[in-house]
Amino acid sequence: MKEIPVSKRNIIIAIILAVIIAVGILVIENWPFRNAQGSTPSTSKDSLASAAAVSAIEKVFQVDYREGKEAWLKRICEVSTPAGCQLFSSGADRMWEKYVEAQSVVTAVVQATEKVADNRIEQVWRISITLSSPLPGSNKTQDTAYVVLVETDSGWKFDRFLMDAEINAILARQKITDTPAEEGKR
Amino acid sequence: MKRLLLFLVLITLLVPSAVQAQENDPWSEVFQPDGNLNPNLIDLGVTTDHPDWMSIDLPFGQSIDLDANYHRYQTPSGNIVVLPSASTLFFMAMNPQESGLNSSYGSLGNGYGSLISFLGLVAGNNLDWSRVQADHPEYTSPDQFWSAVLNGKQDAWTYFSGWGFITTLLQMTWNDAALRSTYLLYLNGSQNCASIPGGCSGMVTPPPPQRECPDPSVTMQQPVLIIQKIAPNNPLVIGQDFENRRGADIQVAVTIPPVIFTWYEPIYEERDICRAAKAGETPNCNTRTGSNVNDGVSDTERVFMGCRTHVEHLPDAVASLQATAALDAASQDWIRSQLGQSHYGAYIHQANFALIPGLGSWTGGCDGGGTCMATGQALRVPFADPGTFNLRLDVVTTGTRFRGIPITQPRRVGIDETMQVYLTLPALVQ
Repeated sequence: MKEIPVSKRNIIIAIILAVIIAVGILVIENWPFRNAQGSTPSTSKDSLASAAAVSAIEKVFQVDYREGKEAWLKRICEVSTPAGCQLFSSGADRMWEKYVEAQSVVTAVVQATEKVADNRIEQVWRISITLSSPLPGSNKTQDTAYVVLVETDSGWKFDRFLMDAEINAILARQKITDTPAEEGKR
Repeated sequence: MKRLLLFLVLITLLVPSAVQAQENDPWSEVFQPDGNLNPNLIDLGVTTDHPDWMSIDLPFGQSIDLDANYHRYQTPSGNIVVLPSASTLFFMAMNPQESGLNSSYGSLGNGYGSLISFLGLVAGNNLDWSRVQADHPEYTSPDQFWSAVLNGKQDAWTYFSGWGFITTLLQMTWNDAALRSTYLLYLNGSQNCASIPGGCSGMVTPPPPQRECPDPSVTMQQPVLIIQKIAPNNPLVIGQDFENRRGADIQVAVTIPPVIFTWYEPIYEERDICRAAKAGETPNCNTRTGSNVNDGVSDTERVFMGCRTHVEHLPDAVASLQATAALDAASQDWIRSQLGQSHYGAYIHQANFALIPGLGSWTGGCDGGGTCMATGQALRVPFADPGTFNLRLDVVTTGTRFRGIPITQPRRVGIDETMQVYLTLPALVQ
């Protein structure tokens, strides 16, 4: 390992800067505006989770074949759990091949429409997606996704898309409990 | 913590408890009495597949195709033993019909008992048991519920109250290829390809047996796979190697010993004999010693003299080769958390690399002795993130043929290694 000598003057400057930053963070954290939000923790939690879902799904369906698969996956992985990143990366080869073949350049407008399940550390959100143009294999530009978000040390992260069997189970449960459920698949 | 617990419970299932194989039980040719695998088994290696029941459908007709992964063995009588990876086993259990789980003779020991234990340990904490009991009071224990799931009579998805455990299970399986807990047995081998997980990949297809000579036999040795970093000794992330942006060189090498196909040729000799005359034939010899009356006709017959052994060294060449590198989860966590704390804005630049094909290429061939080799290199791979990279090499072979008859099916084999990429961090010294 390389060792870089640092002068005493620089150490003192670094300590002063660290103290200023720490004080700044404390002030921002305790600002009245933050306290008002903190009074409704569950709503705040939901809004953070839904924002994470929207951000992740935008990245999944923001496709530009010219930038390469790695750049696409990198964006997705930045907002995913490590396991979610690995899951998506390991199964996306065929999908990306189709995008390259079709020379797809697509963007997405995404909206979180409903939280359909919550076990405190995980949430499932229904997300409506509108694409700028269809992706290969479908001529739709509007569809619905059901996504799992997991609360981690660094905030809510995208974990994965629900599978058909899981979606059907959740929708069936909603019908039984008379919770209004929009029509749509995935 | 959750991952650790899941890992520990899976490890406890890894060792087959008591092998209860009876004499006439098909399991008796799989395990020796001491519980070890029978050395006569042919190791067919690891086979991967992309079944529909392990596919995650996405909106707009897209899908994520997960690998089903099986380590398989062939018994001397042609039965196939299948060890699915932990995640593959979970999906098989959730889709017992489609995955062929219900076509198996059973799992080791006590039918589906070990599978029920596996499901309980992997997914039990993520089921809403109070709802299960409210809807199905007939299940008086979790085992009864899982048993109904395995028999295809009960849908488990309805009762899951947690979802992240599936990705955790998948990740653990990818990071530890040896995480396999359950042996499944499929009878009748190559006559039953469609119902065996992984199909007939790599399976030994014995030709029809000869009458007078022993059956032909096939001996396969496992290919030797190497994937390694060859230079430099301590690769530095390219972001700190301003001048050279050296990266690292990765080398792969595959050596596939020949498939030894031993067959036996019956040797016959023609001998003069006197056989009984047929109607219309003129007798010219006598069939009984001591008789002077001709009652037979001179002819020749083939007499079996013995068996000549032939040993063929059949080449099983490399048909395709793929090498990848992926930054492991712990390193990704470290960059995002610990490194991120000391170096604001630290992020993962590129976690996955397609080494070969992609950044490099491979060549291969077979020598006169039937040994096949392939080598490849990916030079100056631009690793930009520090930590442990999982190197993965996957190879598919052509399979072997002798005089136009397939002897072994193509094999899929793979190996995992790791390499380190370093980062220079400043340190305060007095």
